[in-house]
Amino acid sequence: MKYLFAPAAALIATAAFAAPAMAQSITVAVAADIRSNNPGVNRDDNTDDFALQLVEGLVGYNEGGVATPLLAEKVDLSADGKTYTFTLRQGVKFHNGADLSSADVLWNWTRYMDAKTDWRCTSEFDGRSGLKVESVTAPDARTVVMQIEKPNALFLDTLARTDCAMTAILHKDSVKADGSWDKPIGTGPYKFGEWKRGEYFTMTAFDGYKSPKEGGKADGYVGSKRPLLKDVKFLIVKDPATVKAGLVSGALDMSEILPSDAVELRKNPKLAVAVEPNAVRHVFLIQVKDAVMGNQKLRQAIAAALDMDEIVAAFYNDLGKPNTSPIYSGSSYFGEVEKKGHVYDAARAKKLLQEAGYKGEKIVILANKRPVVPSFPAAVVAQQMLQAVGVNAEIEVLDWATQLDRFNKGNYQMQSFSFSARFDPAIAFEQFSGPKDKQPRKTWDNPEAQKQIDKLYVTSDRAERQKLVDELHKRVIDEVPMIFAFNGLDIIAHAKRVQGFKPWQSKLRMWEVTLAN
Amino acid sequence: MRLPAPNALVGGTLIGFLAIVASVSALWTPYDPLRLSFRAKLAAPSAMHWLGTDEFGRDVLSRLMAGAATSVWISLLTVALAVSLGTVIGLFSGYVRGWVDRTIMAFNDALLAFPGILLALGLLAVVGANKYGIILALGIAYAPSVARIVRGTVLSLREREFISASRVMGNSEAFTMLRHILPNCIAPLTVLATSMFGWVLLAESSLSFLGLGVPPPAPTWGNMLAGSRPYIGQAVWLGIFPGLCISLTLLGINLLGDALRDKLDPRMRGAR
Amino acid sequence: MLRFALTRILMSVPTLLIVSVAVFGLIRLIPGDPASLMLGDLATPASIADLQARLGLDQSVPVQFGIWFGNLLKGDLGQSINSQQAVLPLILQRFWISAQIVLVAVALASLVAVPAGVLAAWKQDTSLDLSLVAVATLLLSIPTFWLGLLLLLFFGLKLEWLPVVGYVSIAENPLAGILYLVMPIMTLFLHEIGVILRMARASTLEVLRLDYITHARAKGLTESAVLWNHAFKNAFGPTWTLIGLVLGNLLGGIAVVETVFTIPGLGRLLVDSIFARDYPVIQGCMLFVAFTYVLVNLVIDLCYPIFDPRVTAQ
Repeated sequence: MKYLFAPAAALIATAAFAAPAMAQSITVAVAADIRSNNPGVNRDDNTDDFALQLVEGLVGYNEGGVATPLLAEKVDLSADGKTYTFTLRQGVKFHNGADLSSADVLWNWTRYMDAKTDWRCTSEFDGRSGLKVESVTAPDARTVVMQIEKPNALFLDTLARTDCAMTAILHKDSVKADGSWDKPIGTGPYKFGEWKRGEYFTMTAFDGYKSPKEGGKADGYVGSKRPLLKDVKFLIVKDPATVKAGLVSGALDMSEILPSDAVELRKNPKLAVAVEPNAVRHVFLIQVKDAVMGNQKLRQAIAAALDMDEIVAAFYNDLGKPNTSPIYSGSSYFGEVEKKGHVYDAARAKKLLQEAGYKGEKIVILANKRPVVPSFPAAVVAQQMLQAVGVNAEIEVLDWATQLDRFNKGNYQMQSFSFSARFDPAIAFEQFSGPKDKQPRKTWDNPEAQKQIDKLYVTSDRAERQKLVDELHKRVIDEVPMIFAFNGLDIIAHAKRVQGFKPWQSKLRMWEVTLAN
Repeated sequence: MRLPAPNALVGGTLIGFLAIVASVSALWTPYDPLRLSFRAKLAAPSAMHWLGTDEFGRDVLSRLMAGAATSVWISLLTVALAVSLGTVIGLFSGYVRGWVDRTIMAFNDALLAFPGILLALGLLAVVGANKYGIILALGIAYAPSVARIVRGTVLSLREREFISASRVMGNSEAFTMLRHILPNCIAPLTVLATSMFGWVLLAESSLSFLGLGVPPPAPTWGNMLAGSRPYIGQAVWLGIFPGLCISLTLLGINLLGDALRDKLDPRMRGAR
Repeated sequence: MLRFALTRILMSVPTLLIVSVAVFGLIRLIPGDPASLMLGDLATPASIADLQARLGLDQSVPVQFGIWFGNLLKGDLGQSINSQQAVLPLILQRFWISAQIVLVAVALASLVAVPAGVLAAWKQDTSLDLSLVAVATLLLSIPTFWLGLLLLLFFGLKLEWLPVVGYVSIAENPLAGILYLVMPIMTLFLHEIGVILRMARASTLEVLRLDYITHARAKGLTESAVLWNHAFKNAFGPTWTLIGLVLGNLLGGIAVVETVFTIPGLGRLLVDSIFARDYPVIQGCMLFVAFTYVLVNLVIDLCYPIFDPRVTAQ
């Protein structure tokens, strides 16, 4: 490298910048700092991603989003569907060397259910959201028994949820003697390193890690999870243009990049770009309570006026594909029925507009300009297409907090929005369906559909569930309470010497990743 | 008659050209500045698109022309708002003096000490994110500097002979104020207003960069420049042209401002 | 002198009071709240209400203000909603980072721009003047985020002289720390040259037109003696005031440069907290910036007599 001064270069190499020089250490750019290192407590997606490199739960999602044993070796369900028996894997150690036992699970459950812990998911298990865990017991050191009030098809899924930090099992020394939080001592492949707020956070390989599977194949949060990198440093870099410069210069080894940069960075001989679809669903929300938008024909016209191929291309160029179903395209429930959705037909849109009696009333689409979400570009293209068929569409750009506030209050006509990733179809529908008068943020308020969704929650039969999903999908396409457009993509650029990395559901899993020299 | 000073000449030409472009764009642009073209994304300058196209395939030249009108309009209105608001406050404050003056100036200083970013975000969120929100936000942010200058001029002139003479002649205070004091504020205000014009162009751009600017798709030079950042490697013309427009306009307006000051400032009249 | 300083400090109390009330009110007028931002798109009204109660946001705004203001008088600016850090140490730590950039950039820019401005005024309307003004205008009319990016591409990527991303504190590693600060300082430096040169030129022009310069010239002093002994010394006073204004404004407006160069400074802290609606941090930052603004201007006024012999501080 041609640094200005040789000693300066040496100094830089020993400083933060240096990851490339040291073998087995990599620097990853992230757009935001973590909120805390307390799993599932003070969190956002970015925080979950880091936490789940460090800690693990009894069950975790596999690649297809199904909750699968992780710290448990197996999970047995009683015939009445109310008793779950978890058998813990043998030889699992915490970062401090202590062995995992059922007593740790009990301690964690008590901590999570204590209101003082502020665990995000307490209300998911205490009956406030329908699911209630009545008792947790440990008949022996390797067995944990959880008793729930009534059968629930989603109990394990809820335990595995990433925003609950997988209901992680922590060592009790994670908490100080006075009960306050110290730092995460978990069972994950990496140990918590250092955290300099606003600058970076790091983790180091846990030598005593016991991988749930061998063989080197990563599978969601289960599978083979060997920590093959010595250190990983997550550097906070807000500006995408700076990220790009850092990747090109070699100061950064990996980062999410803007779709518009993918082509250019792929041409760089030192860089590779990995693209994987995720379960985020980009959508045009519609407020059906609005005087104008209440007209179903008008909503159908809008859906027919949108050429989804072009809308995807506005953000993802040729990397993405449209998907007008509420079910994400990677889901096992995404079948032939879900592939049939809205069809672009400008002539039909015009005809529907006439039938709707539309008189040129103004329709405002809310959008925000966060660079990593397609909200704004999608709105620009949609506006253009709507104007082309004679809809008087306008865009109002808000900052994200304001847009989210309008979403929560239901105060909008249309929004260019993204629903965060939910794997199970029941939760995916629950995300937007419900009574508007009690929860204004809900976009779809259809009691009949709600009954079907409730049924999805308690039905375990796969074929039965698929049938319900198909019917719900058709209803959404016909009623147009919102227009699903396409799924999110994880677009990660990394140095070619970083090998074995695969983005999965926006998570930067660092296990089974190696560094070639 | 002497030739105008070189700064007036260069400045006048630049601003005159800007005015022409802005007016022409109201009637005609080569393409519709909002029309998307999916086949021509990020196209380099060519015979079809003289200045290339942007990430949505929109013609950059057309957007620059339309943006000239929007940018000039926003800057003009902002400056007008700041100057009129500040002048009224400054005149009033300097005129009444006493505790009212002190109170007003305490508020004024508080506003001066207030970073413009928060004021802009706050007001934009409250009044709605559109160009009038920007005008209101920046206008209010810049008014205190005007008020300070006007009040200072009023205070320094109050006791001068020609003011006392005007009072002795039986003219009302208000008349004295308008007839004798206000004209003396014009020179410093001209200088301030011309700088302010430039600040608004820049502030609007920086706000766009931080994510709080004038909502597109309506083009302004500021949001075009801010929006070009991710594409600097692939499509350098996206940033160069609006950047150049901002710089040349600022150059023109500043030169013109200097020239105007030389002409208007009574202290400088005939000095050269 | 001491009395002057004390009066000035007392006079700034109402200003700071107004700032604190205004900030508190304004950020609560902005739609959006920290609780729903933290919970995202799965938040139920009940969970949002829970979190609001825990953050103390369920009380009326005057009550919230009373609590905050009471703590403020005790020197406690509260705790960040997002990171749960105490606000005052957080601000001080970030301020130090921003301050070193701003101070160095403005000091360097003044060293270059003030003499250049005087020179331009002295040679008014010559091609030298015109080109200096043109360069200055060009510099100040390039938005800092654009200028910063150009520097980053050139020195960081093309020449590979300077590190592209990251930040190391000078306390940890002095030389590397300095290297990380070179580009942000250079960006502000180039921008401020434009601002200060124009100010220095304008104030020198005013002085040059005053009678005593004419007198000095008439006395037969050489042009350079007139310029140095009379014009420069007298023009520096107003310029000094303006430099103070620049300093005060920059601390509020440095966010852009910090975003480009990933510097964890005060400006970025403020912008990030605004987007996250982290009320205690926004309030703390704003009050702090207003306080520095007042303080900087006080120091500038106190130093004024040193540069301008005509004025004595009463």
